[in-house]
Order: sequence, then C-alpha cells, then structure tokens
Amino acid sequence: MSVTAINRTLTAVLLAVLVAAPWVLPMFEAEFWLAITAEMLIWGLFAASANLLFGHVGLLSFGQALYFGFGMYGVAIGVDRFGLGFWPALGLGIAAAVAMAAVAGVFAVRLTWHYFAIITVVFSLIFYFLALRLKPLTGGDDGLSFAPPPVARFGDVTLSLGDETVQYLVILAFAVAAFAFQARLYASPLGRAFAAVRESERKAALLGIDVLKVRWIAFVIAGGLAGLAGALFAFYGRYASATYMYYVVSGEAVIWTIVGGTGTLLGPGIGAALLTLVREELSTVWEHYLLVVGAVVILTVVFAPRGIAGAWNAALARLPGVRS
Amino acid sequence: MSVVPVLELIDVSRRFGGLRAVDGVTLSLGRGISAIIGPNGAGKTTLFNLISGLLPPSAGRIQLHGQDITHLKAHARARLGMARTLQIKSVFPALSVYENVWIAARQRYRPLDPFGLWRRDRATAAEAEAALEEVGLTGCADMAAGSLSYGDVARLEIAMALAQRPSLLLLDEPVCGMSPAETEQAVALIRRIGERTDVVIIEHDMEVVFGLAERIVVLAQGRVLADGPPAAIAADPAVQEAYLGQGEDEEEAVHG
Ligand SMILES: Nc1ncnc2c1ncn2[C@@H]1O[C@H](COP(=O)(O)OP(=O)(O)OP(=O)(O)O)[C@@H](O)[C@H]1O
Ligand SMILES: [Mg+2]
Repeated sequence: MSVTAINRTLTAVLLAVLVAAPWVLPMFEAEFWLAITAEMLIWGLFAASANLLFGHVGLLSFGQALYFGFGMYGVAIGVDRFGLGFWPALGLGIAAAVAMAAVAGVFAVRLTWHYFAIITVVFSLIFYFLALRLKPLTGGDDGLSFAPPPVARFGDVTLSLGDETVQYLVILAFAVAAFAFQARLYASPLGRAFAAVRESERKAALLGIDVLKVRWIAFVIAGGLAGLAGALFAFYGRYASATYMYYVVSGEAVIWTIVGGTGTLLGPGIGAALLTLVREELSTVWEHYLLVVGAVVILTVVFAPRGIAGAWNAALARLPGVRS
Repeated sequence: MSVVPVLELIDVSRRFGGLRAVDGVTLSLGRGISAIIGPNGAGKTTLFNLISGLLPPSAGRIQLHGQDITHLKAHARARLGMARTLQIKSVFPALSVYENVWIAARQRYRPLDPFGLWRRDRATAAEAEAALEEVGLTGCADMAAGSLSYGDVARLEIAMALAQRPSLLLLDEPVCGMSPAETEQAVALIRRIGERTDVVIIEHDMEVVFGLAERIVVLAQGRVLADGPPAAIAADPAVQEAYLGQGEDEEEAVHG
C-alpha cells in the first residue's frame, strides 16, 4: 500500500459517509448535525481558497473574505433585487467574486509576503466599509435577507433549500465538485507551475514561467472558490452581510488551512471542520473558547508544521509496509 | 561574411548606488564555449543578471540573435532560448528531482495547461529523463531536490537548463562546491553541451576555464580588461596584474 492509496480509500469512505449522512443521522436522532456539516463544508471550501494561494503558490492572503462577501452579495442582490432564480444568482455571486479578484489580483500579485498580505487586507477593508455605507444596495449593518428560490423543478417535484436534506446535498455536491476540481488542477501542468513559483520565484522565471501571470491565475481561481463558498453560505443563511467581509474572517481561513495542512488537498477542509466544531460546541459553554483555538494553532505550528493532514501522511509513511 | 552574434552587449552598465558593478561593457558573445573570468566582485554575476533579465541595466542595450531584449523580462528571455544556472545554486527544494527537470522541460509546450495531468505527459517525461540521464542523476529522480548534496544540486541545475533546450546557456561557477571527481565529470559534460549549444561560463577554477573555453573575457571592476583566446589571455600582463593577490593557485594556473 502507498500513502496515496490509503488516503484515496479514506477519501472515498468520507465521501460515502457524507452522502449517507441525511439518512444515517436521523437514526441517531442527530439531525441537527446536518446543518453543522453543511456549514463545515462551506468553510472548508473557503479555507481551500486561502490554501490555494498560500499552500500552492506561496502567497499569504488575509483578504479572501472579500471574495466570499462578493459571492454572498451576488446571490443576495441577485435574488432580492433582480429576482433571479437559484442558478443565475449563484452564477452572479461567483462571477462577482471572480471579477473582483481579477481586478484586485492585477495589483496584489506584484507584491509578495507581508506586502501581499497587507494589500489583500486593504482591498477587503475598502469594500467592507463600502458595503456598510451602500445601505440601499447591501442593507448596511442589517445585511440583506431574502427568500431562497427553488433549486430545480421536475414536473410537480420542487427541490427547495427549505428541505434540509436538499440543502445539504446541494452544498455537498458543490463542495465535492470544487475539491475534485482542485485535485485536478494541482495535478495539471499549471499546478506544477504553481509549485515552481511557490518554491522559487526567481528560478521559475529563469525557466520561462511568467510568474505574475501564474500568480494572477491562482488569485482569480482562489477568488472563485471563495466566491462559491460565499454564494453557498448566502443560500444557507438566506442573507448576506458585510460582517463576513471583515478581515478577521479572512484570517480564519488562514488559520484553518495551517491547522488542517497547508498545501494538502483536504487539509483546509479538515481544519475548518475541526475549528468550526470547536466554535459551535465550545462557545456555548465557555466564552473564552478562542483560547483553545489559539492553543491548537500554536501546537500545530510547533509540532506539526504541515498541519493535521501533513502529520497524518508522515505517520502513515512510517507504518511498516507503507510506501510514501 | 557577417554573422549575427548570439549575444550582443552594447555599452551596458549597472550601478548600485555609487558602485559601478558593470561599467560600459560592449561585448559580443557566443559560438562555442566562452568564459568570463575576473577577481571577486568584478561584476561577472551582475553581468549575467543583466543578460538573463533578473536585473535591468542602468544603461546600454542587449541583443539576442539580433533581437533587442533589453526590456524583456527574464521569463521572456528564457523562452527565446536562454538558460542560466545561478552562482548560489537554486532549485525547487520541496519538489522531487524529476519534477524539477519536468517543469523545466514543460515550459516550451503549453506550460499553463490546467486540464492535462502532468504525470501522463509522455513527451515531457522523456525529455526530463534524458536530461537527468545526461547529468547522471537518474538514480536520484524520486528524491526531494532539497535533500541533494551541493554538487548534485549543481548538476540538477544544469539538467534543468538542458531540459529547456537552450540555444544559449549561461553557467555561473558550475563546478563550485564539487569534488575533484565531480568537477572532472562536469567539465566533460559542459564540453559535450558546448558541441550543440553556445555556452558562456563564469568560473574561478582556471584549470576548468583553460580546459574548456575557446575564448576568455576578463572582467575587472565592471570593465572588460582583456578578451581573446586562452593563450593570449594567459600571456597578458594586465590580466596577471588584475589577479595579483588573488591566491597562488589561480595565478599559477594563469601562468601555466
Ligand atoms: N543586488 C546588489 N546590490 C548591491 N550591490 C550589489 C548587488 N549585486 C552585486 N553587487 C555588488 O556589485 C559588485 C559585483 O558583484 P558580482 O556579484 O557581480 O561579482 P562577481 O564578479 O560575480 O564576484 P564573485 O566572483 O565573487 O562571484 C560587488 O561589489 C557586489 O557587492
Ligand atoms: Mg559571481
């Protein structure tokens, strides 16, 4: 067995469990976990966007919430103001995020390290305050609530997000598709160019890689992923709010990524799942739960610099009879 | 008969603050193996940085095969057939040796293809394997590049440059840090490469320089001090002067 083969098998098992969840959870009278799992999937997707930039291209973004917010508002404004259906509104949310990333990316990818981190924060702050101000469009402080349109109609059957199971499966389907897309992306020649740029920008350029272009492409794709997460979250919460564009939300994506495993495929999802769990469960019993999050982050950085997924892979590789 | 020079530098200068690291260099390089020598700090690496596009010149023009490349970025120059190794050896440490060379080889064919699977690209794989074979690193293909010895990193850098199929190869101190046996192999390798590609090599090891180069350019304080065939350079009193105080071996090598 190789590490890859074991992980593939486990991923298949995880997928099967996630698909079966809506039917299995009620058997244990644990339906409420369905909504929490849906939220974990969305945050996992959001963390994946930070991971694409940091883990694969070497750019630490503290501004992914901006694209998440554009995804949210795209959906909310699409439904509430333009009366769009589910698919066009989703499309509008993703398109808005991608367009914003395409513009911000032109400036951001010229910088690296803390300069890059700062410019991504600055962009997100500008639009955060803009969203607060543009009350007629965004609802300002109150946000924008809407009634979600049906996902699809087949004759008499209407798939509606009001049905927990439908909502969960829709979110799961998008999350699976987005992670499959990333797996494919990282295994492509473009994925190798990402890695080259991350490892050594100068060497990459000397080999003929247009470093700025590669970074820009990654920035736009990451914006799209964050936008998808935001669009799904808007449907899930039936509203959009500027709070989710705040840079603290961006920071969470980075933390989830680091805890879960920078540069791995599922690590960001694992980190997001674990820490949203901590937030959901612990915050109700202990108001200083953030201390736990802080401790988890410090422990990972010190003892498992490649995160949970990285530590897992290393542990597997040490088992007798397992190839790395 | 006029032949378009491979590489033409026209009054190229580069200042760092008050320091003229490269000071009005006019040179035509290429055709076979040429060497650039000169004492530490003479401006050799800076000259390579200007040629390869890592640094913009403060003044002057650079042409490759008759095309003005002064304002092209490094990656665009690489695509025109220029490859370069760095004095401080640089590879992609977290990637495997094979991946390093694969990436170098893939840059000539749809390098940013997001749909294909890199593992399935047979044509690039063959080129990468050939380049590893040529430098003798086939056995290390699956190792992380960051875990190689210094000498092997130097060879990997050459393999990556070869995988680019360059028409002009710039080598900055390629044998630095290699054992005598490794050096001998590297010299043989560079000689072989020189038969199909124009090579410019910066090197302090005079045995290597005089063993390889058909032409030697001597740089001192950013200027061209001498330029000619090895025999003429060895006999040039100005060159010996520039190397005074540089250490016995090198001086002896210039004399011998
Ligand atoms: N980026 C830089 N900023 C400031 N000064 C620089 C820079 N690069 C080089 N220099 C200076 O320019 C001069 C020439 O340096 P360069 O590296 O080109 O010399 P070299 O001939 O390659 O020397 P060596 O044989 O030691 O490699 C040196 O004085 C060096 O300190
Ligand atoms: Mg040098």
